[in-house]
Amino acid sequence: MSRIRAVAINTVKQALRIKIVLVFMLILFVLIPVMALGLTGDGTIKGRLQSFVTYSLSLTSLILSLMTIILTTYSLSEDVYKKYAYMVLTKPIRRFELLLGKLAGVIFLDVVVLFFCAGLIYAATLYIPHYYEASGEQLDSLNNQFFTARSSLRPPVPDVTAEVVEEYRKLQASNQLPEGMSTQSIMRELTNRKLYEKHAVEPGRDIVWEFSNVRIPDPNQQIFIRFKYDVAVNPPDNVIYSIWDIGDLRQIDFAAVSATPIYRTQRQDIIRTSREFSINADAVADDGYLGVAFLNVPLNPTVVIFSPEDGLEVLYKSSTYTANFVRGVLLILFRLIFLACLGILASSFLSFPVAILLCITILCLAVSRGFIMESFNYLSQEVHLIYSLTIRLLIQFIPQFDQLNAAHYLVSAQLISWSAIAQIAALVVVLKAGILLALALVIFSFREIARVTG
Amino acid sequence: MKNEKYAIETFSLTKVFSDLWGRDKVYAVDNLELKIRYNEVFGLLGPNGSGKTTTLKVLLGLLHPTKGKALLLGGDSTDPKINSRIGFLPEESYLYTYLTARETLDFYGRLFSLPSQIRKARVEALLDMVGLKAVANRPVGTFSKGMARRIGLAQALINDPELLILDEPTTGLDPIGTRQIKDLILQLAKRGKTILLSSHLLADVEDVCDRITVLYGGKIQAEGKVKELLQQADKTQIISGRLSDDVLQKIRDLITSENAACEMSSPMEKLETFFIRTVVEAQKSNLPTSGAFSTTQIGDFLTAESRQQKILEKLVTATEVPEKTEETAKTKKTESVQAFDAKKSEILEQLTDDSKTSKTEPVSKTESVKDIPQTKQEINRDLLDELTGSGRESDKKENQPDKKEGGSGHE
Repeated sequence: MSRIRAVAINTVKQALRIKIVLVFMLILFVLIPVMALGLTGDGTIKGRLQSFVTYSLSLTSLILSLMTIILTTYSLSEDVYKKYAYMVLTKPIRRFELLLGKLAGVIFLDVVVLFFCAGLIYAATLYIPHYYEASGEQLDSLNNQFFTARSSLRPPVPDVTAEVVEEYRKLQASNQLPEGMSTQSIMRELTNRKLYEKHAVEPGRDIVWEFSNVRIPDPNQQIFIRFKYDVAVNPPDNVIYSIWDIGDLRQIDFAAVSATPIYRTQRQDIIRTSREFSINADAVADDGYLGVAFLNVPLNPTVVIFSPEDGLEVLYKSSTYTANFVRGVLLILFRLIFLACLGILASSFLSFPVAILLCITILCLAVSRGFIMESFNYLSQEVHLIYSLTIRLLIQFIPQFDQLNAAHYLVSAQLISWSAIAQIAALVVVLKAGILLALALVIFSFREIARVTG
Repeated sequence: MKNEKYAIETFSLTKVFSDLWGRDKVYAVDNLELKIRYNEVFGLLGPNGSGKTTTLKVLLGLLHPTKGKALLLGGDSTDPKINSRIGFLPEESYLYTYLTARETLDFYGRLFSLPSQIRKARVEALLDMVGLKAVANRPVGTFSKGMARRIGLAQALINDPELLILDEPTTGLDPIGTRQIKDLILQLAKRGKTILLSSHLLADVEDVCDRITVLYGGKIQAEGKVKELLQQADKTQIISGRLSDDVLQKIRDLITSENAACEMSSPMEKLETFFIRTVVEAQKSNLPTSGAFSTTQIGDFLTAESRQQKILEKLVTATEVPEKTEETAKTKKTESVQAFDAKKSEILEQLTDDSKTSKTEPVSKTESVKDIPQTKQEINRDLLDELTGSGRESDKKENQPDKKEGGSGHE
């Protein structure tokens, strides 16, 4: 342990004295205050904070990711390239201790820099509302939709398998299957189409979502309906007029007697933008039932579609902004730990330029993994098979950084639960980063350090 | 003392460098059978590319042998227990340039898990020894090659190693540093350390090594004791004080009458000695320097003997008194010259007297054994006292002159 500590301290000194960390810290400590003062968002105080948190946290995450990659790849590969390892590895230190020491040093620096940056961002978010004048309505919106952490309920995705299979058979029988597409791709296409059909509402029609086992910690608080309209044809003013009923809708359908109220609200909202409204939490029945009904008023000239992914959510407060912010920062740290292990693996057998290139490529893949995976769905049947057996497995191993975006959760005040944190830690840090580190240890243990390569 | 016979032992050690396709390219080391005994200063010689450095790298686990095996201190060099007893100085001092000299030594001390107090004491002693105490807080990256070499040497000694492997240790060093390293090697050898020295500077190797091996093409071309390999048995050299022309003529006549060739001249002082004297005088006048300021002091922890070692060495001395006296070649040589100087007229008489045959008398032998206890019983009593910690003051006082004599060889 003392040897790992010695290497870790040495790594920290190296990072500080060759000024890598100082440059990155300078960038962050200049840009974060500039963003705090300069970003305005949609002009409201909430919009200002949302845009500040989005950009500052994303920038911090990106800069620290690059710093982590540079430090890990540089530190280890330079030890081998400049032959420092000749002196170190002939001392009573095991090779895995050297790697763990390097890793510990870089992660320590990550934690320190992340702590200061996150502290700066957090302090700025608390300070900004005092600096700008805002109406009471804006401040309410800020408290309910930003300075909080809300759990999210999404409607269950209906099972459309039988309908999709039936549709596929029909197409097959009539020889109308698209050429060149794999069966899997066609089925996926049909499934998406069916799901959108299920969530499409024609003018004058309504759609009802029913939630069960809704448990609101405090019945005196408010619940929030968050929605986003997609449309078949854009209305002239890009606005959809609607009527929403929220409460125990069983009273309407089955004439059941219930003390639970039904709240009705008439709205006009812009399309393709997430919108929210709040109602009292007593709309949830005692048995945990909550119904949400949307009426597409006949005035609208278009079909309104609610995307299965983010068409509708019911939100309620379940934690504080501070606690959620801390968990969001942990998400960033998990990314950094994964990248640190990746850097160690790459430099355990590659030179610095090649190792850093590999790591940055994987970082880009991780950031856009969702998009890449989706794009592969449209490959031809032959290529799809090769891809499924090779690249897909590798890409699936890379964590989906776009889903681990802390800013995304904090801006919409979505709860990052401790159970989610534990799951992500287990998957990204323990399993994936652990595999990378184990590979690095094996490779480096068998590597001939003094062998001249290239 | 040790179960194993050899400090370093290789068995058909072979290292072949292959190309990208796995085809053999270069036989850097070829079936090397190296046996280096404990307490030996062993020189590894050879021209560039003869496989010296590759051999060291394979010994230390930095390269994997293609065939064969190497044992260091009876074990594998990648075993931390073995590593903790080894000091290594590579052909260049590969030091972290951003660390200061003090931090560098502290870092390597930490890798040996040395307790804080011991580590700090050793770091300071080594900085003093290599003459870099004044620049201890300067980054190593700003050092000259020679200064970096000194720090490299210091890190190799931080653990007070049993086995010291030095690859071109004097490269880039000034004559004082070179002399200091040679003195250090002799001092460490005296303390029972084993030293493997690889060098191009043959004079350095000749000065300090007991045995050498010459490598070429990765194979041993010659091996043996330095004296045996270099001694010209068919020639005789006599060194004396200044003689008059008459005496010289008499000697020349005498030798010529024996049908032997004869050459007489005044010996020249070694440039190394002259240089060191000049620099020492400059240091005495306190001239400023930004470089190394050598004190020619060797770290206390390297010269101080542990209680256990003292006891073990006494055991050895008790049973091998005559051999011990003969082994101290340097001391014997000095004493012999002094004895010769004192009795030169007597010897001259012998040389000029045909009736007497010339012979070397072991004059110093009887003198040097005077301080050594005479009987095994006495030694055993001393050892018993030390083991039980009940040594008498008078005994301690008796031992002090011994210690002084051991260190006086460098003064």
